[in-house]
Amino acid sequence: MIRPAIARTLIAVSVAATSALTGAQTLAQESHLANEPIRFVTPYPAGGSHSLHAGIITAVGEDFLGRPLISTIRGGGGGVVAAAEVARSTPNGTMLLFGDPTINSLRPQVEDLPYEMDDFVAVARINYSPAIFVTTPDQPFQTIKELVDYAEGNPNELVYSSDNRNGFTFTVFEMLKSTAEIDMRGVELGGGGPAVTQLLGGNTMAYAGDPSVVGEHLDAGTLVGLCVTDTERFEAYADIPTCQEEGYDVVFQFWRGVMAPAGTPPEVVAELSDGFERLTQDEGFLRLIGQIGSGVQFLDHEAFAEALAAEQAALGAAYLGE
Amino acid sequence: MIDFSVLQQGLAMLASPWTFLALSAGLAGGILIGALPGLTATMAVAVLAPFTFFMDATIGIPFLLGIYKGAIYGGSIPAILVNTPGTAAAAATAKDGYALTQQGKSRKALELSLYSSVAADFIATLLLIVVAIPLASIAIRFGSPEFALLYLIALTMIATVSGESFLKGMIAAGLGLLVACVGLDPMTGYQRFTFGNTDLLAGVSLIPLLIGMFALSEILMQLTQPPSAEDRKTTAAEHGGEPLSWTEFWALRPTILRSTTLGAFLGSLPGLGAEISCWIAYGVARGRSREPEKFGNGSLEGLAAAESGNNAVVPAALIPMTIFGIPGDTITAVLIGALMAQGMMPGPLMIQQNPGFLFGMFLVLLVTNMLLLGFGLLAIRWLKQVTRIPPTVLYPCVMLLCLCGAYAVNSSTFDLLILVMGGGLGYVMRRTGFPVAPLIIGLLLGPGFESALRQSLVFSNGSLTIFWSRPGSLILLILLALVIVVMAWRGLTTAGIIKKRFKRLTSPSQKH
Repeated sequence: MIRPAIARTLIAVSVAATSALTGAQTLAQESHLANEPIRFVTPYPAGGSHSLHAGIITAVGEDFLGRPLISTIRGGGGGVVAAAEVARSTPNGTMLLFGDPTINSLRPQVEDLPYEMDDFVAVARINYSPAIFVTTPDQPFQTIKELVDYAEGNPNELVYSSDNRNGFTFTVFEMLKSTAEIDMRGVELGGGGPAVTQLLGGNTMAYAGDPSVVGEHLDAGTLVGLCVTDTERFEAYADIPTCQEEGYDVVFQFWRGVMAPAGTPPEVVAELSDGFERLTQDEGFLRLIGQIGSGVQFLDHEAFAEALAAEQAALGAAYLGE
Repeated sequence: MIDFSVLQQGLAMLASPWTFLALSAGLAGGILIGALPGLTATMAVAVLAPFTFFMDATIGIPFLLGIYKGAIYGGSIPAILVNTPGTAAAAATAKDGYALTQQGKSRKALELSLYSSVAADFIATLLLIVVAIPLASIAIRFGSPEFALLYLIALTMIATVSGESFLKGMIAAGLGLLVACVGLDPMTGYQRFTFGNTDLLAGVSLIPLLIGMFALSEILMQLTQPPSAEDRKTTAAEHGGEPLSWTEFWALRPTILRSTTLGAFLGSLPGLGAEISCWIAYGVARGRSREPEKFGNGSLEGLAAAESGNNAVVPAALIPMTIFGIPGDTITAVLIGALMAQGMMPGPLMIQQNPGFLFGMFLVLLVTNMLLLGFGLLAIRWLKQVTRIPPTVLYPCVMLLCLCGAYAVNSSTFDLLILVMGGGLGYVMRRTGFPVAPLIIGLLLGPGFESALRQSLVFSNGSLTIFWSRPGSLILLILLALVIVVMAWRGLTTAGIIKKRFKRLTSPSQKH
């Protein structure tokens, strides 16, 4: 019985491989992409918002890019390991980084890393999300004002879940600390998964994270939303105010975008950008993205490159100008 | 809480022949993947998960669960037959399993590994149906200080796997911890021992090193010390030796029960996987055994403990996932993605929104066990013949599979270098009497221990009081102290210095 089962699997695999091959061959005539699968590298450990998005993109991406997308999860060093690896890969569009502002705009400017900001070219921005400051219902503070008051009354006593040094959560908490002039302690836990676990377990008191990570817990009432780091309220959780409304100027839009190593031919970048654009218009993709509490704010390679340059300059001025 | 519509929904899931087919295909594929060194359960589930996005949930999810279970079991097969753990979770299995094969008892070893895997899985699943929710609420309160102490307790298991020389065991463990430090500092991003090599930024890849240390060093041992032709003839003639008798298996029930409970508890803690629980179960079994000297030389207890310890983790790891939406390990992280794509949010709302599916999943887990038993027995009928293959044919094949497997982990040629260096190191260690297991344990536990320790110290502002001021950490600290005291006590009395010397002094004529 085991042998027929294996044989069946093998047949299925080879049938799939052949059909993929013929599909690729027909496309190869008008395509600038190398005739091999694309490795789509997620720079954080499995379980966070990046890997969820990457799972969906790689599952449906082949139909729009003409090449199978292989999801590679390469955590470590808060994204540095994956970024360094993609930066020094062959620039032909076969290895792409699922980047974000900390990896591509902030950290190369303020840390000594094995890659530079200019080692990447923008391909496509998939979406962005704000961070939502959250706490558990049993904490002494249930609004962002109360949190700030608590931190003022108990300097350095408030311990929050952070992600990585200069990561998304790290940065928004630094912004809050500096605008509200308070002191709190963050524990760098490496990613959204462990960070939420520690908050739910009562080991930390607050966290700020992506709606796709905290949304489920907001629905269930196990976490309470404090404020959103955007200029407008987040649609799905419209009852949570923005930080600006509450009087704290914390705005940080965490984008997720596809980056290619510098030196990738422009026609390859353009073709990839088109492919991702069609992907983000697909109904099935939108349904899956909706299921993880996220959406699409697509920018093509030109618009994305502009936005990226502006962000890099702004972050550089904010961090290094001081 | 249980109402009939829920039961019906769950049962309906099993009634479909497609569910069975998907489960069987997953299981068979999983065993094969697990048996190939380097191809891990994580990778298989991650690669195949996207295909299930478009299947019905009652087909896709059982398929993935089948792969997960099959692969964890499959890893034990090459560990027993050729001393090459197919997955990191089977490293402890190789110790006694391969020793049994060398004694011509490969059939017994394979059968025992299958029975203890299935038994552990079955008991753990039943246990979890009853205590899933209370267990999960304990598990989620575990913070960094508790994890740090848990890692320390696991590190004491080095003493039980060090073999003859404790000093050599400690040196090997130190080396393992040192190698684990290579790469980017987990909290500051500072580069450690990378010597400017970007391949080392993520650290030394565990699986290639593991394959090298076990498989390549074994091949080198065979090359330089081939077993005599006579030895081989006797092993071959027996067709893998006698089957496992019921009395032998029945005698192991305390070991299996203990290892299962341990594995189920460790598995329910987010972040601790089968790789670690197999060693803890192995160490505890040796501590409780009446014949600890047999461990490492073909002890049935050791094999049963390692295999039940790693398989009990599988159902347990699903607990933090289904109840809190928090992945217990990388495989469950991928499973969360697959469930989400089906429109099911694992987490606090799942029990309310999809109770039928959850119930069905538990049933599927139990059915998977039955199927695993069948598949395993069929596989063993053929696999026990592997020992009859001449080494000149077998080992080159093993070598080729190992190289492919090591490359497949990260698609990195640097990993092949790690495999070769691991093989050389393993060979030198075995030739000089250094045990390999402590090094592996150090390597596995080092990064987790470091992160947990440093996070705890941030929590406490650098004060060590955090390790006894919390109730959970205090209990674990006492447990750690007890483990060390008991080990030292045993060391001194049973095999110890005091009594022996005393005996020798009083009756020098007695045989020594």
